[in-house]
Amino acid sequence: MKKYFENLAFMVCLSYTVVSFSGAIINMISGSQTSNVNEIVIFVLCVIASVVLSLHGLFENLSMLAVMVIQYIAACALGTVFLLIVNIFNPISPRGWFELFRSFTIPYVVLALFYYYSVFTDTRKKDNLIKDIQKNRKEA
Amino acid sequence: MKLNLFEDKNNIDEHVDVYFSKMRPQIKQIIDTVNSERPSLSGRPADDDLDDGEEILIEPKEIYYLDYVDRKLFMYTGNGVYRIMKTLSECEELLWNYGFVRVSKSNLINIFKIKQLKPDLNMKVYAYFDNGERICVNRSYKKEFDEYLQRMRRMV
Repeated sequence: MKKYFENLAFMVCLSYTVVSFSGAIINMISGSQTSNVNEIVIFVLCVIASVVLSLHGLFENLSMLAVMVIQYIAACALGTVFLLIVNIFNPISPRGWFELFRSFTIPYVVLALFYYYSVFTDTRKKDNLIKDIQKNRKEA
Repeated sequence: MKLNLFEDKNNIDEHVDVYFSKMRPQIKQIIDTVNSERPSLSGRPADDDLDDGEEILIEPKEIYYLDYVDRKLFMYTGNGVYRIMKTLSECEELLWNYGFVRVSKSNLINIFKIKQLKPDLNMKVYAYFDNGERICVNRSYKKEFDEYLQRMRRMV
Protein backbone atom coordinates (compact mmCIF):
# COMPACT_ATOMS: atom_id res chain seq x y z
CA MET A 1 0.00 0.00 0.00
CA LYS A 2 2.88 2.34 0.85
CA LYS A 3 4.42 1.65 -2.54
CA TYR A 4 1.09 2.37 -4.23
CA PHE A 5 0.89 5.81 -2.62
CA GLU A 6 4.54 6.53 -3.43
CA ASN A 7 3.88 5.69 -7.11
CA LEU A 8 0.67 7.71 -7.06
CA ALA A 9 2.46 10.76 -5.57
CA PHE A 10 5.17 10.41 -8.21
CA MET A 11 2.58 10.23 -11.02
CA VAL A 12 0.70 13.28 -9.67
CA CYS A 13 3.92 15.30 -9.42
CA LEU A 14 5.05 14.23 -12.88
CA SER A 15 1.72 14.84 -14.63
CA TYR A 16 1.20 18.20 -12.88
CA THR A 17 4.70 19.36 -13.82
CA VAL A 18 4.27 18.31 -17.47
CA VAL A 19 0.78 19.86 -17.79
CA SER A 20 1.60 23.16 -16.04
CA PHE A 21 4.95 23.47 -17.84
CA SER A 22 3.28 22.83 -21.23
CA GLY A 23 0.58 25.34 -20.27
CA ALA A 24 3.23 27.93 -19.38
CA ILE A 25 4.98 27.45 -22.74
CA ILE A 26 1.66 27.75 -24.65
CA ASN A 27 0.78 30.89 -22.63
CA MET A 28 4.17 32.45 -23.43
CA ILE A 29 3.71 31.75 -27.16
CA SER A 30 0.09 32.89 -27.33
CA GLY A 31 0.63 35.81 -24.93
CA SER A 32 -2.21 34.72 -22.66
CA GLN A 33 -2.17 34.32 -18.87
CA THR A 34 -3.46 31.75 -16.42
CA SER A 35 -5.05 32.28 -13.03
CA ASN A 36 -4.42 30.76 -9.60
CA VAL A 37 -7.76 28.93 -9.80
CA ASN A 38 -6.64 27.34 -13.08
CA GLU A 39 -3.47 26.03 -11.44
CA ILE A 40 -5.49 24.43 -8.65
CA VAL A 41 -7.94 22.95 -11.18
CA ILE A 42 -5.01 21.48 -13.15
CA PHE A 43 -3.58 19.96 -9.96
CA VAL A 44 -6.88 18.39 -8.86
CA LEU A 45 -7.53 17.02 -12.37
CA CYS A 46 -4.04 15.51 -12.37
CA VAL A 47 -4.82 13.85 -9.03
CA ILE A 48 -8.17 12.52 -10.38
CA ALA A 49 -6.57 11.20 -13.59
CA SER A 50 -3.67 9.58 -11.70
CA VAL A 51 -5.97 7.90 -9.16
CA VAL A 52 -8.32 6.58 -11.87
CA LEU A 53 -5.47 5.30 -14.05
CA SER A 54 -3.72 3.70 -11.07
CA LEU A 55 -6.79 1.51 -10.48
CA HIS A 56 -6.18 -0.53 -13.65
CA GLY A 57 -5.45 -3.60 -11.48
CA LEU A 58 -9.13 -3.81 -10.54
CA PHE A 59 -10.04 -4.51 -14.17
CA GLU A 60 -7.57 -7.35 -14.63
CA ASN A 61 -10.10 -9.65 -16.31
CA LEU A 62 -11.21 -7.07 -18.85
CA SER A 63 -9.38 -6.34 -22.08
CA MET A 64 -7.01 -3.35 -22.08
CA LEU A 65 -9.20 -1.56 -24.61
CA ALA A 66 -12.24 -1.85 -22.33
CA VAL A 67 -10.15 -0.70 -19.35
CA MET A 68 -9.02 2.39 -21.27
CA VAL A 69 -12.59 3.33 -22.20
CA ILE A 70 -13.88 2.73 -18.64
CA GLN A 71 -11.02 4.76 -17.14
CA TYR A 72 -11.59 7.59 -19.62
CA ILE A 73 -15.31 7.76 -18.79
CA ALA A 74 -14.60 7.55 -15.02
CA ALA A 75 -11.94 10.29 -15.18
CA CYS A 76 -14.24 12.53 -17.25
CA ALA A 77 -17.15 11.93 -14.85
CA LEU A 78 -15.08 12.73 -11.75
CA GLY A 79 -13.54 15.75 -13.50
CA THR A 80 -17.04 16.99 -14.39
CA VAL A 81 -18.22 16.61 -10.78
CA PHE A 82 -15.20 18.57 -9.57
CA LEU A 83 -15.76 21.33 -12.16
CA LEU A 84 -19.44 21.56 -11.23
CA ILE A 85 -18.27 22.33 -7.67
CA VAL A 86 -15.74 24.88 -8.98
CA ASN A 87 -18.50 26.34 -11.16
CA ILE A 88 -20.49 27.30 -8.04
CA PHE A 89 -17.69 29.59 -6.80
CA ASN A 90 -16.11 30.57 -10.09
CA PRO A 91 -18.43 30.25 -13.13
CA ILE A 92 -16.91 28.40 -16.11
CA SER A 93 -17.80 29.53 -19.62
CA PRO A 94 -19.12 26.98 -22.20
CA ARG A 95 -15.83 27.41 -24.06
CA GLY A 96 -14.00 26.54 -20.81
CA TRP A 97 -15.85 23.21 -20.57
CA PHE A 98 -15.04 22.40 -24.19
CA GLU A 99 -11.36 23.31 -23.74
CA LEU A 100 -11.13 21.17 -20.63
CA PHE A 101 -12.44 18.00 -22.27
CA ARG A 102 -10.41 18.64 -25.40
CA SER A 103 -7.19 19.10 -23.42
CA PHE A 104 -7.90 15.89 -21.49
CA THR A 105 -9.05 13.78 -24.46
CA ILE A 106 -6.22 14.56 -26.90
CA PRO A 107 -3.29 13.46 -24.67
CA TYR A 108 -5.35 10.48 -23.44
CA VAL A 109 -6.03 9.23 -26.98
CA VAL A 110 -2.42 9.86 -28.08
CA LEU A 111 -1.04 7.95 -25.07
CA ALA A 112 -3.61 5.16 -25.56
CA LEU A 113 -2.51 4.74 -29.20
CA PHE A 114 1.12 4.75 -28.09
CA TYR A 115 0.33 2.06 -25.50
CA TYR A 116 -1.58 0.05 -28.12
CA TYR A 117 1.44 0.19 -30.43
CA SER A 118 3.84 -0.72 -27.59
CA VAL A 119 1.77 -3.83 -26.72
CA PHE A 120 2.12 -5.07 -30.31
CA THR A 121 5.87 -4.36 -30.59
CA ASP A 122 6.59 -5.79 -27.13
CA THR A 123 4.65 -8.98 -27.95
CA ARG A 124 6.51 -9.35 -31.26
CA LYS A 125 9.84 -9.04 -29.39
CA LYS A 126 8.80 -11.69 -26.87
CA ASP A 127 7.58 -13.97 -29.65
CA ASN A 128 11.01 -13.71 -31.33
CA LEU A 129 12.68 -14.39 -27.97
CA ILE A 130 10.60 -17.55 -27.48
CA LYS A 131 11.47 -18.75 -31.01
CA ASP A 132 15.14 -18.03 -30.24
CA ILE A 133 14.97 -20.08 -27.01
CA GLN A 134 13.23 -22.96 -28.82
CA LYS A 135 15.81 -22.90 -31.64
CA ASN A 136 18.77 -22.84 -29.23
CA ARG A 137 17.31 -25.71 -27.26
CA LYS A 138 16.92 -27.83 -30.39
CA GLU A 139 20.53 -27.12 -31.33
CA ALA A 140 21.86 -27.91 -27.82
CA MET B 1 26.64 -34.06 -25.84
CA LYS B 2 29.24 -36.79 -25.32
CA LEU B 3 28.28 -39.44 -22.76
CA ASN B 4 30.85 -41.70 -21.07
CA LEU B 5 29.67 -44.60 -18.93
CA PHE B 6 32.09 -46.62 -16.80
CA GLU B 7 31.03 -49.88 -15.20
CA ASP B 8 33.16 -50.98 -12.27
CA LYS B 9 31.74 -53.76 -10.11
CA ASN B 10 34.18 -52.93 -7.29
CA ASN B 11 33.29 -49.27 -7.12
CA ILE B 12 31.93 -48.36 -3.70
CA ASP B 13 31.76 -44.63 -4.34
CA GLU B 14 29.37 -44.16 -7.25
CA HIS B 15 29.46 -40.63 -8.57
CA VAL B 16 28.70 -38.46 -11.58
CA ASP B 17 30.97 -35.73 -12.94
CA VAL B 18 29.39 -33.13 -15.21
CA TYR B 19 31.58 -30.95 -17.41
CA PHE B 20 29.76 -28.03 -18.90
CA SER B 21 30.54 -24.65 -20.45
CA LYS B 22 27.22 -23.04 -19.60
CA MET B 23 24.42 -23.92 -17.21
CA ARG B 24 21.65 -24.96 -19.61
CA PRO B 25 18.29 -26.58 -18.81
CA GLN B 26 19.67 -29.88 -20.16
CA ILE B 27 22.55 -29.74 -17.63
CA LYS B 28 20.19 -28.71 -14.88
CA GLN B 29 17.96 -31.67 -15.75
CA ILE B 30 20.93 -34.03 -15.34
CA ILE B 31 21.67 -32.46 -11.95
CA ASP B 32 18.02 -32.81 -10.94
CA THR B 33 18.02 -36.46 -12.00
CA VAL B 34 21.17 -37.20 -9.99
CA ASN B 35 19.66 -35.41 -7.03
CA SER B 36 16.46 -37.42 -7.59
CA GLU B 37 14.53 -34.26 -8.24
CA ARG B 38 13.42 -35.14 -11.74
CA PRO B 39 9.80 -34.17 -11.96
CA SER B 40 7.48 -37.06 -12.48
CA LEU B 41 4.00 -35.71 -12.96
CA SER B 42 1.43 -38.38 -12.62
CA GLY B 43 -2.15 -37.87 -13.60
CA ARG B 44 -5.37 -39.68 -14.28
CA PRO B 45 -7.41 -39.10 -17.44
CA ALA B 46 -9.79 -36.23 -16.67
CA ASP B 47 -12.85 -38.25 -17.73
CA ASP B 48 -12.16 -41.11 -15.30
CA ASP B 49 -13.18 -41.26 -11.65
CA LEU B 50 -10.34 -40.54 -9.27
CA ASP B 51 -10.47 -44.05 -7.79
CA ASP B 52 -10.93 -45.96 -11.04
CA GLY B 53 -8.56 -44.30 -13.49
CA GLU B 54 -5.09 -45.62 -14.04
CA GLU B 55 -2.34 -43.20 -13.08
CA ILE B 56 -0.08 -42.24 -15.97
CA LEU B 57 3.39 -40.69 -15.79
CA ILE B 58 3.80 -37.70 -18.06
CA GLU B 59 7.11 -36.14 -19.14
CA PRO B 60 7.21 -32.33 -18.76
CA LYS B 61 8.06 -31.96 -22.46
CA GLU B 62 4.71 -33.55 -23.38
CA ILE B 63 2.69 -31.00 -21.42
CA TYR B 64 1.29 -27.93 -23.16
CA TYR B 65 -0.11 -26.18 -20.13
CA LEU B 66 -1.65 -26.66 -16.69
CA ASP B 67 -5.07 -25.28 -15.91
CA TYR B 68 -6.60 -24.82 -12.45
CA VAL B 69 -10.39 -24.96 -12.67
CA ASP B 70 -12.91 -25.44 -9.84
CA ARG B 71 -10.16 -26.30 -7.35
CA LYS B 72 -8.89 -29.04 -9.65
CA LEU B 73 -5.64 -29.03 -11.58
CA PHE B 74 -5.53 -30.40 -15.12
CA MET B 75 -2.61 -30.88 -17.46
CA TYR B 76 -3.12 -30.68 -21.18
CA THR B 77 -0.95 -32.85 -23.42
CA GLY B 78 -1.10 -33.79 -27.09
CA ASN B 79 -2.79 -37.07 -26.11
CA GLY B 80 -5.40 -35.82 -23.70
CA VAL B 81 -6.26 -34.07 -20.47
CA TYR B 82 -5.14 -35.44 -17.12
CA ARG B 83 -6.04 -34.46 -13.60
CA ILE B 84 -3.14 -34.15 -11.18
CA MET B 85 -3.21 -34.09 -7.41
CA LYS B 86 -0.81 -31.22 -6.82
CA THR B 87 -1.21 -27.49 -6.45
CA LEU B 88 -0.31 -25.09 -9.24
CA SER B 89 2.41 -23.54 -7.04
CA GLU B 90 4.00 -26.96 -6.45
CA CYS B 91 4.02 -27.61 -10.19
CA GLU B 92 5.46 -24.15 -10.85
CA GLU B 93 8.32 -24.85 -8.45
CA LEU B 94 8.85 -28.32 -9.91
CA LEU B 95 8.73 -27.34 -13.57
CA TRP B 96 10.25 -23.85 -13.74
CA ASN B 97 13.46 -25.29 -15.15
CA TYR B 98 11.60 -27.20 -17.87
CA GLY B 99 10.18 -24.16 -19.61
CA PHE B 100 7.05 -23.68 -17.51
CA VAL B 101 6.03 -20.18 -16.52
CA ARG B 102 2.99 -18.80 -14.73
CA VAL B 103 0.91 -16.51 -16.96
CA SER B 104 -2.21 -16.12 -14.83
CA LYS B 105 -3.68 -17.16 -11.50
CA SER B 106 -4.78 -20.47 -13.00
CA ASN B 107 -2.35 -21.24 -15.83
CA LEU B 108 1.19 -22.50 -16.14
CA ILE B 109 2.39 -22.79 -19.74
CA ASN B 110 5.24 -24.61 -21.46
CA ILE B 111 7.15 -22.06 -23.56
CA PHE B 112 8.65 -24.84 -25.69
CA LYS B 113 5.15 -25.68 -26.97
CA ILE B 114 4.26 -22.12 -27.94
CA LYS B 115 3.77 -21.65 -31.67
CA GLN B 116 3.17 -17.92 -31.51
CA LEU B 117 2.65 -15.12 -29.03
CA LYS B 118 0.11 -12.68 -30.44
CA PRO B 119 -2.00 -9.80 -29.13
CA ASP B 120 -5.70 -9.58 -29.95
CA LEU B 121 -7.31 -6.36 -31.09
CA ASN B 122 -8.61 -5.89 -27.54
CA MET B 123 -4.94 -5.83 -26.37
CA LYS B 124 -5.06 -9.19 -24.57
CA VAL B 125 -1.91 -11.17 -25.31
CA TYR B 126 -2.39 -14.87 -26.12
CA ALA B 127 0.06 -17.75 -26.33
CA TYR B 128 -0.98 -19.99 -29.24
CA PHE B 129 0.16 -23.61 -28.97
CA ASP B 130 0.96 -25.96 -31.82
CA ASN B 131 -2.16 -28.00 -30.98
CA GLY B 132 -4.33 -25.00 -31.88
CA GLU B 133 -5.26 -23.99 -28.32
CA ARG B 134 -4.50 -20.62 -26.76
CA ILE B 135 -3.96 -19.24 -23.25
CA CYS B 136 -4.14 -15.60 -22.21
CA VAL B 137 -0.98 -14.04 -20.74
CA ASN B 138 -2.36 -11.94 -17.92
CA ARG B 139 -1.11 -8.36 -17.59
CA SER B 140 -0.27 -8.75 -13.89
CA TYR B 141 2.12 -11.63 -14.76
CA LYS B 142 3.82 -9.72 -17.57
CA LYS B 143 6.90 -8.77 -15.53
CA GLU B 144 7.49 -12.34 -14.29
CA PHE B 145 6.92 -13.66 -17.82
CA ASP B 146 9.50 -11.22 -19.26
CA GLU B 147 12.04 -12.06 -16.55
CA TYR B 148 11.52 -15.78 -17.10
CA LEU B 149 12.10 -15.48 -20.86
CA GLN B 150 15.28 -13.45 -20.29
CA ARG B 151 16.54 -16.03 -17.78
CA MET B 152 15.81 -18.92 -20.15
CA ARG B 153 17.52 -17.03 -22.98
CA ARG B 154 20.68 -16.80 -20.88
CA MET B 155 20.48 -20.44 -19.82
CA VAL B 156 19.72 -22.10 -23.15
